[in-house]
This record gives sequence, structure tokens and C-alpha cells, in this order.
Amino acid sequence: MSHWMFNCKEVSRRVSESIDHDLPLYPRMLIRIHLLICRYCARFRRQIMMLRELCRNRQLDENSIDPSVVLPPDARERIRQTLKSSSI
Amino acid sequence: MTQIAEEISITDPNFDPETWFDQYGDYLYRFALARIRDQAVAEDLVQETFLAALHGRNSFKGRSTVKTWLSAILKHKIVDYLRKKSREQVINDPDRINETVDGFFHKDGSWKVRPGNWNLDPSKIHEQHEFMDTLFKCLSELPDRLSKAFILREMEGYSAKEICNVLQVSSTNSWVMLHRARMFLRRCLEIFWFNKTKEERR
Repeated sequence: MSHWMFNCKEVSRRVSESIDHDLPLYPRMLIRIHLLICRYCARFRRQIMMLRELCRNRQLDENSIDPSVVLPPDARERIRQTLKSSSI
Repeated sequence: MTQIAEEISITDPNFDPETWFDQYGDYLYRFALARIRDQAVAEDLVQETFLAALHGRNSFKGRSTVKTWLSAILKHKIVDYLRKKSREQVINDPDRINETVDGFFHKDGSWKVRPGNWNLDPSKIHEQHEFMDTLFKCLSELPDRLSKAFILREMEGYSAKEICNVLQVSSTNSWVMLHRARMFLRRCLEIFWFNKTKEERR
């Protein structure tokens, strides 16, 4: 492998970094070339993106919960009592 | 409490966690329920949030709305809950994780443990509670700070910069932590989820 190219360990690290912040142009280009020729690193990239998607899909917006869903009366009472006794 | 804050708390009925509870209790409950999907846990987290608000109400400076402030407290409670949940069977050995992750590569930096073919439709999988259970089991194998970094970034959508502030680490450190967490979790999920048939997962 030519010295100007990253190996898979380096590419996986930088691919991971690239989804947390923008990489400079040069490493970005080297990674792009590497991903075109290395299917395992390309797979790694797809999979960490998928992992993100799976995790974030799980976290639905509170607006996705029916607004008619409210605290059950017993829980409401319990919390109210706890707040009362704690504020004394 | 400063004199002004004291006066406000006495004279302003809005400066009162019980009033806040009436106003935002249901909203926060839905907020927790959307993330945790467990009614009893969501109720407890709402209670903890208002207790924290009660004890820390003097730290509320009015820079944000009460609703935003309460949501931020609840978010922290949720992250703590998820972290604890992921630590039910903790093996907390940072060196072991580093060795494991380094072991995925040959000395020349090529893949030793090549990423397999996952072959799945993500829009279907997230509905499966078993998948999240497997993910939490895998998270439980990570050192505390790594799992917290991952939860904050990938589940709660914090930026890498915000994670630096929460965990008190440098940017470079946070990227390394997130990378190691992803590396490990990717492999763990491959072994315990993707390489298994539906029957074997049970």
C-alpha cells in the first residue's frame, strides 16, 4: 500500500471521526478513494451510520406521543405528595 | 437564597415547582415516555426531575424558559437511567476494550475481523425491542465513560463538543472514545444479533 494512502485501521478511525466533525479536505479525499476500493471499510461506514439511525429512531420526539397521554392519576398524586413533603 | 429570589418565590406563584408540575408534568411525562417506553420508569424520572427542580430552583436564572430548563434536567435523568441500565452486568476494564478493538486489525492495519454483511432493513428493526436489549447488553460491556459518550451522542444527539463539556475531555479524546465505542458495539451486535437467526436470539 502506498505511503500516502491510509490503511483500514486509520480509515475506520477517520470515518468514525467524520460523523462527529468535519475532516479537512485532503484526508477526506484519501478516505473517499479508500472507500471506493475497500468494501470492508465501506461496510464499516454504512454500519456505523445504520447504528446511529437505529439509536435515533428509537428516540422519538415527545410530539410523537399522543397529547392525550397524561400522567396516571395515582402517579400524579404520588409526585404531588412527594413535592409537598420535600418542600417543607 | 438571595433576598430577591426569596421575595420572588414568596410573591410569585409561578416560582414554584408544584405549579410547574401542574403546567409541565404531562409534557415531561410524554417526553420521558417517548424515550424510555416504560410507564413506571417515566413516572419516576418525572418525579426525580421535579425534586431536582425543587432543590435547585435557585439556580434557575430565567435565561431559558422553565419548560426548557425542566426538559434539560429530565434529559440528564434519562441519560443517567440509560447508562445505569446499560451497566447492569458491568465489566469495566478500559484496557480490555482497547485490546479488543486493536485486535480487529492486523499489524499492517488491514482488517483481521472483517465487517460482515448485515443485510437488514433499518426501518423495520428499530421496532424490535429485542434489538435494543442486545444493544444495551453490548453497552454494558463498555467502560462507563465510553457508554455514556455513545448514549449522549447517538441516542440523545449531543454534539461531540457538548460531550467534551459533559465528560470533561478534549475533542480528540471524545472522538477516540466514540470511535472505540462504535467499533466495539458494531462487532458485539454482529455476534449477538446479526449473525444469529431469530430463534437463536431468544
